Amino acid sequence: MTPSAPPSPPLRRGRIEQRRLGSLRLAALLAAAIGATAWLGRSTDPAAKPLGEGALLLGAAIAQTGNANLYGQDQRMGLLLGERWGREATRHSPARMVRLQIEDGGSDEPSAIAAFNLLIRQGVIALIGPTLSQQAFAADPIAQRQGVPVVAPSNTAKGIPQIGPFISRVSAQSSVIAPLSIEEALRREPATRRVAVFYAQDDAYSTAEVAIFQKALAARGLTPVTVQRTQLADNDFQTPITAALQQRPQLVVLSVQAVAGGNLIRQLRELGYRGQIVVGNGLNTPNIYPICQRWCDGILIAQAYSPELNTPINTTFRALYRQANGHHPPPQIAAQAFTAYQVLFEAIQRLQAKGGLSAVTLGQARTNLMGELLGGTYTTPLGPIGFTPDGEVVQSRFYVAEVRMQPNGRDGRFALVRERQLQHASGKGATP
Amino acid sequence: MIETLLQTLLNGVAGGGVYALVALGYTLVFSVLGVINFAQGALFSLGGYLTFLLMGGRIGVNGALPGWGLPGGLPFPLALLLAAAASGLVGLLVERLAFTPLRRRGADPMLGLITSLGAGVVLVNLLQILMGAEGYAFPQGADALGGLPAALAIGGARIRTIQLLLLLVSAGAVLALPLWLEHSRQGQALRAVAEDPTTAQLLGINSEAMLRLAFFLSGALAGLGGGLIGVSVSLPGPYFGIGYGLKGLAVLVLGGLGSVPGAIAGGLLMGLAEALVPSEASGWRDALAFAILFAVLLLRPGGLLGRRQLEKV
Repeated sequence: MTPSAPPSPPLRRGRIEQRRLGSLRLAALLAAAIGATAWLGRSTDPAAKPLGEGALLLGAAIAQTGNANLYGQDQRMGLLLGERWGREATRHSPARMVRLQIEDGGSDEPSAIAAFNLLIRQGVIALIGPTLSQQAFAADPIAQRQGVPVVAPSNTAKGIPQIGPFISRVSAQSSVIAPLSIEEALRREPATRRVAVFYAQDDAYSTAEVAIFQKALAARGLTPVTVQRTQLADNDFQTPITAALQQRPQLVVLSVQAVAGGNLIRQLRELGYRGQIVVGNGLNTPNIYPICQRWCDGILIAQAYSPELNTPINTTFRALYRQANGHHPPPQIAAQAFTAYQVLFEAIQRLQAKGGLSAVTLGQARTNLMGELLGGTYTTPLGPIGFTPDGEVVQSRFYVAEVRMQPNGRDGRFALVRERQLQHASGKGATP
Repeated sequence: MIETLLQTLLNGVAGGGVYALVALGYTLVFSVLGVINFAQGALFSLGGYLTFLLMGGRIGVNGALPGWGLPGGLPFPLALLLAAAASGLVGLLVERLAFTPLRRRGADPMLGLITSLGAGVVLVNLLQILMGAEGYAFPQGADALGGLPAALAIGGARIRTIQLLLLLVSAGAVLALPLWLEHSRQGQALRAVAEDPTTAQLLGINSEAMLRLAFFLSGALAGLGGGLIGVSVSLPGPYFGIGYGLKGLAVLVLGGLGSVPGAIAGGLLMGLAEALVPSEASGWRDALAFAILFAVLLLRPGGLLGRRQLEKV
């Protein structure tokens, strides 16, 4: 085989010209694509469009898949009931229609970000979510940058409202309420000296809450005899339980998520622990009943909501919940989701009455809504609430509940054992 | 001190037994087809849910049929066996959907990794739709063991009865499988297919049937593991088997691809390594397990018993 002869000079020039032309075409195509994208992006930014007279879209990004789904399912129920309450409350009065759009925010940060982005592109007036504090730190800045009001129904890790002026929450503050359950346990067993603590060291909620528990113990002169660290995905706790029980604890404090907590309680009891158990907000859901069953009985938990509260709004919420979900009393997480919807719905109606939603763009309406939301006070299933200027919930009524299981061990309830009125408590703490 | 060590060892061996079950499932399929069935973790989840339903458990409020359950409930051993068999049948379905079409078209067997992963994802999502994502614990908890106490004292160590049962059943399955492979006619036929399918076919062995048998057994082992773990630590959600599937995969590599004794040894080593990590360092537990895997592969690239074990399944 012979090597091919080099091309003649005119042929080479022709090829160079062709390449140059090709490059020019490619550059023009790219420039056109970039220009088109920018134009499309500008023209489809819903914030710049005038707000119509139709129904306002309210977005919710909550966990429908993954581990946090246990909370997300309760939240979905609360939001749907909130929407139903809103429809019925305004049936006979002129009101601005609000349409709820729920998207799966998953249980991790990328899913929450994707859901927030999707809902913002769809032109929501405000957002509810995400489910986990860890997700909020990733997704909330996106809403903040685009000026979309966010009401968090369940994340109370320290610093969430401080992400920006568009971020707020209705979830209660563990730093204030978590010590109440410790207080109740020590009131029942004043001689308690030996306390074992379990927490998930790879979970932002758990690490924040356990610090609050430990501070509460220290304030009462108690230092844990053992602190057992677990992992979020753990379900077999025999090794840490074995180590903890060797210290003969009189009180066990758990700050873990629901499934892990249910397993921990069950395995603690099966391995012979008979003392009191105080649990954190991660176990604030009836979804633990099927896991720890009869062993759930007697655990103490501080709550921001009591289904036994007999205010008109809570009676309505309880009735709606029972209609939708059988005989079960509503859990805190559903009540908080309902409240998140309620405060936004009420703020929208007030703003509508003041004319703050007329002849404005969606972006301006969002800004107006945030101001209206933070300036209002609300009578909710959680009790009367308001907001600090930076979006922190102001709630004063808290509860300590004890889980009481039915004899068959399959079902139970959070029975109210103590109610506390705290002055101007605002959220600094941890939630699932 | 001795009691703690004994307890830790029992915990480790019980956990390792389950890893070995999953790894054996992988091993069976790998031996006959040369690929890894990524749906194994989903079959593990399926086994847990089926055992739950067969024992009389009811679907939770977030499932497709809230409150639905089978009339009555089977005793745990029977429910576990039936669930394992049903998982085996679904394993056959996975083979039919994810592997057979590729094999018939002469496609690269490695493509089966993706199709089986897809089958696993579909299966887990179906479980989520049908059962919801809530956690389930078995209807009678420790009482499911026919009135046995919740925990037993062995040599001063206190171990949950369910954990002991888990240890015994997984040990039984793990020991029975090599014996069956070695001494039964079908086991020998399976080994022959694993060695050389063409020659086995010439000798009158139905290679396709043996392949299906491998998938059935593989699915059944995963289902057995899922049922045992479910009764021990509840079902935390449809995805719970995926973690065990991944750990089983690590055990498969640790023990040596395609080696039955390797899968058992790898499983036990992994379980013990995890159990021996103190709670203060629990964040390093998975890191330690995979560090062991890394170290073993550096020293023995074929896995613990991969090279010495000349005779595959």
